[in-house]
Amino acid sequence: MSDTANATATDEDVLRARFWGLLAALLAAPPSAQVLGMLSTIESDDSDIGQALAALAAAARSTTPAAAEDEFTTLFIGLSRGELVPFGSYYQTGFLHEKPLAALRADLAALGIEVEEGVSEPEDHIAILAEIMQALIDGSLGAPLSLPEQRQFFAAHIEPWAARFFTDLENCAAAGLYRPVGRLGRLFLEVEAQAFAMLD
Amino acid sequence: MTQSDDTSKVDRRGFLRGLGLSAAAAPAAALGLAAAQPAAAAETTTGQGSGYQETEHVRRAYETARF
Repeated sequence: MSDTANATATDEDVLRARFWGLLAALLAAPPSAQVLGMLSTIESDDSDIGQALAALAAAARSTTPAAAEDEFTTLFIGLSRGELVPFGSYYQTGFLHEKPLAALRADLAALGIEVEEGVSEPEDHIAILAEIMQALIDGSLGAPLSLPEQRQFFAAHIEPWAARFFTDLENCAAAGLYRPVGRLGRLFLEVEAQAFAMLD
Repeated sequence: MTQSDDTSKVDRRGFLRGLGLSAAAAPAAALGLAAAQPAAAAETTTGQGSGYQETEHVRRAYETARF
């Protein structure tokens, strides 16, 4: 994280960045015992998001690392594919590697962002997009984007499909720990969309 | 840019406050640190070709030839 970003990001934007980071971490890999322990201790209020966080904390307390890993595999990886396919191209076209991914790659190239070597997932994976949003807000990959630029990225690559993914996750019969993650994601997307709308 | 910029920024900040986001901040920050370290649980799902196993996998490519 750069000092400049820390100096310019408002408290609210720090929270937004961390929330995107939380979603990225939860959706990129199954949680370790350490992560489950941290999630278990979340103290929240009775707001919608607070209630979803409380549900996540409760779910984290009632699972184990092994069970969480099994659930993650069932949901997102599977034998041929998981219950859910958390990629923007798939949600928008029914196929991986279609035009939405090409458009994302063009924008990432313009921003000078690339995934590390060894990452085999296409860039439109929800966890990668969430990590990018975090970085665009907090400047952890270089200069942060302005709010209108953040909105442009969000509107182009996340908003068209991610709410459907999070809703599917929230309602997935195979999900336990990840149901509140789905609800959190859905609620947070609504917050982001509403907050961006206030820029007009 | 527009004269309503200041007002909208205040509205937006007010909106974002009190949404319960702050409850996630501490664990999210801790989680970010934790995720940057190799998590034992993350290593065992790599057999399916799912290479995206941890965060910090995205980076800004600096264009040294820019000037």
